[in-house]
Amino acid sequence: MTDTSRQTPTPVVRDAGRLDDGPRPDRVMSPKRRALLGGKHLLLIVLSLLALFPVILTISTALKTDEDVRVNPFGLFSSFSFENIVTAWTVGSFGDYVLNSFLLSVPSTALVVVLSTMGGYTFARLPFPGRSICFYLVVLGLLVPFFTYMIPLYFQLRSMALLDSLVGTNLVLATTGLSFGTFFMRAFFSDLPTELEQAARVDGASEWQIFLRVMLPLVTSGMGALAVFTFLQNWNNFLVPLLYLPGGSYRPLTTGLYLFLGGRSIDIGPLAAGTLITIVPIIILFVALQRQVTEGFLSGAVKG
Amino acid sequence: MSRANAHVPPATRRAQTRLGIALIVPLMALVVIFFLFPLVNAIYYAFVDFNGINLKPPFIGLGNFTELAQDPAVWPALKNNVIWIIIGTAAPLVIGLALALLMWKVQRGSLAYRVAFFLPYILPQVAIGVVWSWIYDPTRGWLNQVLQAVGLGRLAGGWLGNPSTALYAVLGTAVWATTGFVFLILLSALRNVDAELVDASMIDGANALQRVWHIVLPQIMPVFLMVTTITLVGGFSVFDIIFVMTGGGPAGATEVLGTYAYSSAFQLNRISYGTTLALVITVLAIPFTVALNRLQRRLSLQGTGA
Repeated sequence: MTDTSRQTPTPVVRDAGRLDDGPRPDRVMSPKRRALLGGKHLLLIVLSLLALFPVILTISTALKTDEDVRVNPFGLFSSFSFENIVTAWTVGSFGDYVLNSFLLSVPSTALVVVLSTMGGYTFARLPFPGRSICFYLVVLGLLVPFFTYMIPLYFQLRSMALLDSLVGTNLVLATTGLSFGTFFMRAFFSDLPTELEQAARVDGASEWQIFLRVMLPLVTSGMGALAVFTFLQNWNNFLVPLLYLPGGSYRPLTTGLYLFLGGRSIDIGPLAAGTLITIVPIIILFVALQRQVTEGFLSGAVKG
Repeated sequence: MSRANAHVPPATRRAQTRLGIALIVPLMALVVIFFLFPLVNAIYYAFVDFNGINLKPPFIGLGNFTELAQDPAVWPALKNNVIWIIIGTAAPLVIGLALALLMWKVQRGSLAYRVAFFLPYILPQVAIGVVWSWIYDPTRGWLNQVLQAVGLGRLAGGWLGNPSTALYAVLGTAVWATTGFVFLILLSALRNVDAELVDASMIDGANALQRVWHIVLPQIMPVFLMVTTITLVGGFSVFDIIFVMTGGGPAGATEVLGTYAYSSAFQLNRISYGTTLALVITVLAIPFTVALNRLQRRLSLQGTGA
């Protein structure tokens, strides 16, 4: 536990998502080097397509006509239609699942970002007796997988009347992200110079104002990275909704897709469409916020 | 932790204490209610026989643990976990390192490549499981089609339906999903590698493998160990992908401790026994985490990069 608490996520993180990697290559290249570089690119393109192949396959199958799916479900882009998307969205209730995924991911993510920022600030800059023990209890969550306590938590939620509830599931999802979030935000606050807070104090700022007006604006990039990272984790979470939303109200995309797979796995067209609906928001988010995503995951690497 | 707080006047210190406590109360409340309390309960469950109905379950001491040691289903599951941990750690590390080295000096298109390689890692495992089941489809799946096309048709089979290949098929999917993560971390670690040292060794006539082994790898060792820890510990608690792709079957061929704990608790109502299994997984994983963390920190302190 102590080990985890001492690591800072910083070294790897710093230029995680930088676009330009170091110095430009020499403009003039020897033919041999040029050929080598060309070969490298060729290999990288092939490997990229290989890595993306399952995604390409999903898109292709989801956008086929009904008839084409029946004859040739996995042939790439042999026909085009939105039939399957419409079926999945309406008959397969994936429209509802999308909404539920947002209802489960957005509040829990907001909660993680706010509480982790508050906690991270305290653990970095506001000493008080008993603080260390609190910190250790929080980061214990980095060491213990959710798995270990998921079963007792089920019965606890049942007796608290929080099973099959949006509130309960959001609180659980938030808690699974708090250990890392607090740890992550603490590193950002620890990096800020002490002079800042001393100067503000000399100017008569209260501790609350120092936190809100001086320190908080300096860690917004960290909060952004944490928000994106946490959102992805919660969106992808499978076990929490599987266990704690057993009644099927508020079923999100992950467990919805699983249920669809169990019931109608032969309906490859709508199943592909459902899969596509599940992953499209993630792909959009990742492409748009590539830097924040990779930064979050690179520092998320200390979680272990 | 409390650096530069030696000369703080008592009034400031009191104000800091007040704010500090106010700021962590909601955090601590959630952590206590939804993490620590069920965690303590998990330990309690392991020593009683709880079936989910009886609210005053009988105390049975180490009964769950002795049953676990004698359960004929536990050992094959543990064996599958071990296979999963070894291959699921080693393969992404080797492939990820190779990819990172390949990309090391490449500038043009580097962003696009990184997006392509990393994307699989952030997709939900359920979706991954669905698509890979199609790729493994015995008759129309791409894997068998490709094998036939290159004249290896005799290797084709029902990958997920055959007990002797199912675990490795699911593992292949997991490796595909994890490699991008390892790749990204190692690639960013490579930025800190001293390029002059590599060039010098090239002049000294070291071949590519020697350069990687003697020059590059030692410099990224702390990061390398960190990634190892993560993938390794993840291997103990693997659940989603197996649950979705095979549900532990066929005939228990892909059963791991995680899926076994789940089915014991939620399908057989053996709550205490399932919890005990989950606890054992955690207890098995912790020494590895601590040992690797310690080794990693020692290397970092020596200033060997990262």
